[in-house]
Amino acid sequence: MAENRQAVGFGRGFWIATAVLTVVAAGSVYFWYTLPISNALPEAILTARQIDDLFRFMAAVGSALYVFIFGYIVYFAIAFRAKKGDDPNAIGVQVHDNVRLEVLWTILPALFVVLLSIISVKIWYEITLQPANGLVVEAIGHKWYYTFRYPQVHGEITDEMHVPLGVPVTLNVTSSDVIHSFWVPAMRLKTDMVPGMVTTIRFTPVRPGRYQIICTQFCGTQHAEMNKQVFVIEDRPAYDAWFHSWQAKNANASDAVATASTGTVALAGGDAKAGQATFQAKCSACHAIGPYSQRLVGPGLKDVLHDPSHPSLVDGDAATPANVAKILQQGYKGDMGQMPSAQMNAIGDKDIANLVAYLNSLK
Amino acid sequence: MAVQAAHAGGGIADHIHPEPQGFIRRYVFSIDHKIIGIQYMITGFVFFILSGLLAETIRVQLMNHAGGFVSNDTYNEVYTVHGSAMVWLVIIPIVTGGFGNFVMPLQIGARDVAFPWLNMLSFWMFPVAGLLLFSSFLVGAPVAGWTEYPPISLEGGVGTSMWCAAIFLIGVSSTLTGINFIVTIMQMRAPGMTFTRMPLFVWAQLATAPLSMVATTALAAALAALFIERQFGVPFYDPTKGGSPVLWQHMFWFYSHPAVYIMVLPVFGIVSEILPTFSRKPIFGYKMIAFSSMAIALVGFMVWAHHMFTSGLAPYLQLPFMILTYVVAVPTGVKIFSWLATLWGGKIHLTTAMLFALGFLALFTLGGITGIFLAAIPYDLHIHGTYFVVGHFHYVLVGGSLTGIFAGIYYWFPKMSGRMMNETLGKWNFALFFIGFNGTFLPMHWLGILGMPRWVPQYDPQFEFWNRFASVSSFVMTFGILLFFVNVIWSLRNGKKAGANPWGARTLEWQLPSPPHYYNFKHIPNVYGLPYDFSLPLPYKGLDEELTDSPAPVPAGSH
Repeated sequence: MAENRQAVGFGRGFWIATAVLTVVAAGSVYFWYTLPISNALPEAILTARQIDDLFRFMAAVGSALYVFIFGYIVYFAIAFRAKKGDDPNAIGVQVHDNVRLEVLWTILPALFVVLLSIISVKIWYEITLQPANGLVVEAIGHKWYYTFRYPQVHGEITDEMHVPLGVPVTLNVTSSDVIHSFWVPAMRLKTDMVPGMVTTIRFTPVRPGRYQIICTQFCGTQHAEMNKQVFVIEDRPAYDAWFHSWQAKNANASDAVATASTGTVALAGGDAKAGQATFQAKCSACHAIGPYSQRLVGPGLKDVLHDPSHPSLVDGDAATPANVAKILQQGYKGDMGQMPSAQMNAIGDKDIANLVAYLNSLK
Repeated sequence: MAVQAAHAGGGIADHIHPEPQGFIRRYVFSIDHKIIGIQYMITGFVFFILSGLLAETIRVQLMNHAGGFVSNDTYNEVYTVHGSAMVWLVIIPIVTGGFGNFVMPLQIGARDVAFPWLNMLSFWMFPVAGLLLFSSFLVGAPVAGWTEYPPISLEGGVGTSMWCAAIFLIGVSSTLTGINFIVTIMQMRAPGMTFTRMPLFVWAQLATAPLSMVATTALAAALAALFIERQFGVPFYDPTKGGSPVLWQHMFWFYSHPAVYIMVLPVFGIVSEILPTFSRKPIFGYKMIAFSSMAIALVGFMVWAHHMFTSGLAPYLQLPFMILTYVVAVPTGVKIFSWLATLWGGKIHLTTAMLFALGFLALFTLGGITGIFLAAIPYDLHIHGTYFVVGHFHYVLVGGSLTGIFAGIYYWFPKMSGRMMNETLGKWNFALFFIGFNGTFLPMHWLGILGMPRWVPQYDPQFEFWNRFASVSSFVMTFGILLFFVNVIWSLRNGKKAGANPWGARTLEWQLPSPPHYYNFKHIPNVYGLPYDFSLPLPYKGLDEELTDSPAPVPAGSH
């Protein structure tokens, strides 16, 4: 059998084929490691380069492996084909297995799995666990556009999302209707926008530019058009200029709303202790007494009236006792979900006064 | 059948039921596993043609970046039904109900499956489910893709509820077939056919059946909940009423990831039969191939959340799903290397069946490799929901499963019909399919990486060239597939008589006449060894006398 093997399998043809495939495989590794990916798709955030490097690694190993598998399929099919004039009953080399070979091709992929796991966990760690300080932005998906909110500003932005260069960004996303998704190919990053749920991604912009935002979750008839809005990365002065002009433009409108809504409920004499009991009975199913980001259905309310990074409420109004009372009385329906009105929730004016006093007492 | 009870005692009862007379009982409401298998295949291929037309509608729409062939809503209906039908009405029924039914009982030396009436019931749910799904076009078909994520799938008309009912029904059918096959394989193997003497196709069905049985029930629960929420307003998934959209995703993928293995494990089995037959060599590493099927089936249950890396799962929860998905590469690699080693040193006959099996090997391997990119969370965050995913799963399901289905048809057609298929047409079929397939789906990988999302009727103009390239290639592929149907129909009338064993194959079904008798085996044979030792006499004793045990040569001109 040994001579037979020598003659049939590992003759000159096999080694020539192996040499050719090795050269092609090396070429494919070289190709992936020199491919100028960032020319076609800029690397706009800090981790994009690492994600591309992970791609190069997987593509290099995968294509080298594939060159050998495909090459050997073709080579074996040609080299070992039954030729015209062969005995039609001729059979191949009767080998059943080869323990050494089988151990080898179990162990080697297993080692690759270990290596790839280590590399991917490392990159995953850097993407997922970035610093939580810096700028906080909220993005909300709608049919079929995005809106953006900045905690220091009232109201919503609908055309472009701006972030300053080099500042870590925490992006909280959710949806007002169905599942959308927030994908910026230049960031190599996406997250679904799931209604009733806030998902957070963090990144640090490193390359100024205007990048497309794309929805990748089917969201209805106009799903394909949900790519018209722009993600702008710009240097700090340009960002500040944009921010201030936008803030000024919206200040008047928001104040008007806030004024109009005061005075509907008399808040004087609210009892914080009674308010706590009402909160337990009527509100705690959907709201935690915790930070804003601790969402059950609605946001956490511990700091609702005293959080400098959240001067506005979910409806964009300033976080004042009067505006909290307004939401309690009228309910809320919008991109954060839905909250029943005072009538639906069976609470009276006195309860509202107590609840506001309670929330005001929390710090 | 009742007679099988006699197997346990080692004696073989010669109690054979008479063949039913009359067209209806023989070919329509048949309880014969061979007829049911062929019914599954014919029905599956009818739905394949319909779904294929939908696929071409997609490709025609995407010829222009602005679309324009059909409206957005129609386009959404088209790809939703295309995906649903290809998965549930084409691939799963053909590889389990079709090949499993026709081949598996013959290969284990049984006269039928364990529960023939249940088998008939399973089959008849399938065309009903198919009609239900396709008739949803009359009232407005579902639009939210084959994954039907709520809350968008809670909107719209009754079409989506029909989709739920249809998939539920085909799921019940699949579950019952799973139970039937497990009992058949465990209880009805011929005397002497130990687990380590079973043909690898039977091993593949044994690995698949528990998946069908267990995973499909999770899907059934999810579908029932969606149906109830849509029709009666009981909130399971609607977040404004306290439901959870992500719950659906967990339930759906708990089924739909194993479903990938339901679609591909039986095809591993088909290829594991074809490669040794046409290499005239024992399959390399029999035990490792059998064991790796079971390992893939087991690990396949523990990776579902790799479809949900962007869904907002707790971050640390995602890591085990990534790593377990990588682990699937190990048993899959073992299989691919073993198949490759089976070719080495063989006497390879490049019949059409063999070409398709080699094509499977080439295409499925690529689909497996691109799967690693999607399993890696950091990279998946980039390519999830893009055309990369579309390219990847078409390599697995078309390059893998469908190519394997063609291989299986070219291989077993002589056994089913008694006639050979035309090899010249077959080779054109293969070449056009193979070239067209790669031209269609390979460009999708870089389209996705560069920013083309899936499920869109219009797209950025920069992607137009490669989309046109894909569309034109898909016409080539479709023409290749057309030749397949021409070949089947031509060969049914004009094919050369096949005889019992035209390929010189050694598993039990080839030791029977083509097509086999109603009862398969007059005498159940005894099995003495593995079927893949070409240097040894056939490992069977007590075969029906009319056949000899020496394999006939492959007909001249077939290679």
